[in-house]
Amino acid sequence: MKNKLMHLSNETMNIGFVKKVEALSGSSVRRCFQCGKCSAGCPMSTFMEHPPNRVVRLLQLGQGQRILAGRSIWYCASCETCTTRCPNKVDLAAIMDALRKLSWDADGPSKESYVQLANRLFIENIRTYGRQYELRLGAAFNMKSGQFLKDLMLGPKLISKGKLKMFHSKNKNIAEIEGIFKRIEEMRKKGEAL
Amino acid sequence: MTPGKKRLSYSYYPGCSLHASGREYDISTRALFKALNVGLKEVPDWFCCGATPAHNVDELLSLSLCAKNLSLAEEVEGDLAVACAACFSRLKTTQHHLKEDDSKRKQVEVAIDGPAALNKPVKHIMEILAREYGLAKLEESVKKPLLGLKVAPYYGCLLTRPPEVPELDDCEDPSIMEDLLRALGAEPVKWSHRMECCGANFTLSRPGVVLKLSNAILESARIAGADCIMVACPLCHGNLDIRQKEIKEAYGAPDSTLFGNIFGSELHGGSAPDQRDLPIFYVTQLAALAMGVASESLGFESVITDPKPLLRDKQLL
Repeated sequence: MKNKLMHLSNETMNIGFVKKVEALSGSSVRRCFQCGKCSAGCPMSTFMEHPPNRVVRLLQLGQGQRILAGRSIWYCASCETCTTRCPNKVDLAAIMDALRKLSWDADGPSKESYVQLANRLFIENIRTYGRQYELRLGAAFNMKSGQFLKDLMLGPKLISKGKLKMFHSKNKNIAEIEGIFKRIEEMRKKGEAL
Repeated sequence: MTPGKKRLSYSYYPGCSLHASGREYDISTRALFKALNVGLKEVPDWFCCGATPAHNVDELLSLSLCAKNLSLAEEVEGDLAVACAACFSRLKTTQHHLKEDDSKRKQVEVAIDGPAALNKPVKHIMEILAREYGLAKLEESVKKPLLGLKVAPYYGCLLTRPPEVPELDDCEDPSIMEDLLRALGAEPVKWSHRMECCGANFTLSRPGVVLKLSNAILESARIAGADCIMVACPLCHGNLDIRQKEIKEAYGAPDSTLFGNIFGSELHGGSAPDQRDLPIFYVTQLAALAMGVASESLGFESVITDPKPLLRDKQLL
């Protein structure tokens, strides 16, 4: 993909995708003039194949699929350095959130299933318990990612230090949390929310 | 409010970490507020703010979870005190977004089935200590000044960014941690990595990323001559404290490359890389210690990188 020539035409530029990103993030991508300040300050850019400024450039050219096919969006740490430093007020952190949501919904092109898996388990925990249950989060992640031995030595140490609780009680108002999840799903079904 | 006339009192949102891996942050926050005679009442039945994972994949869910927590907090009197940097950032971001964007606010109100409470001031505990309790009064209250303790104040990402949201301090050159440290009698060191990211929640999915970024932070603090690092975020604490041994194992071996030999030896004065343990303190642990709170009630037993040798060395225990 890296060396493939990019042909720009009505067929190859998916402007609808870019409009979705702009609507979800509430940020324009056209404002970016490629100064590169976002990538210069990004602690994660060395892990990405498209550093932040190139993500915006690809969006400007309607190349959303190229971004989703790569790992860049799943290596963003949401540290907000890019948004803070952008001289043109492009909210890159919000754009990354929007891209991750679109990738999450499509559930297809992302190669970075570990990060997605961790996020999914985190949100499942909220729905089931109301609060994070870190022991379950870690254990479920290891089971589902097939890394059974990851951080194995850390677990007992953290339990003995009182940093990991063995058991977890559910929130008393767990029904209200379920209500929030359900109502959001309904709104999306009816097209009342993005 | 005139200090000394009316007792300060806050509602309190601890967040998930403070009830688990960051329990010593919760313990020391309560101990400190008690020592300063400032009220702190936990919001009943609060739930997870969604932290980074929620907004990473579903902004509406993230805003709704925070909005619901804010309306729960309305039931308790006093501004909302938050200790965790991530919870603080999410709650403030929610208020900011929903005030700016009417259509989003309406969606959130449908999701939480009630009005969004946007006017309860959300304050980080450092803000409460430095501005509302006041630095001068804090300095007066010190019983055991942290003399001779060189501390690297570590802000990380979410306390000050993005600029329009947290309103805690300058987003590129903050000073609130340094001010607090000076008031406590400690010496804040000048260092390069005080606002760099530690890798945050990649600790579960990509620990290699965390080891690399956190190693740079620890290394920078050592070079600046710090005895320890002070944080205000349970994730930063987790990455720097819990994984410190792993970081040393991964990056501890002397750099044998040509560049490593030339620049590395210069940096370390010709000796092997500096491998000192750096205890990681929560801001409330150091503050409470200075207020004369017994070290037994500050949760030091839960910490992985033992701070006691350092504190004994500085005659603070």
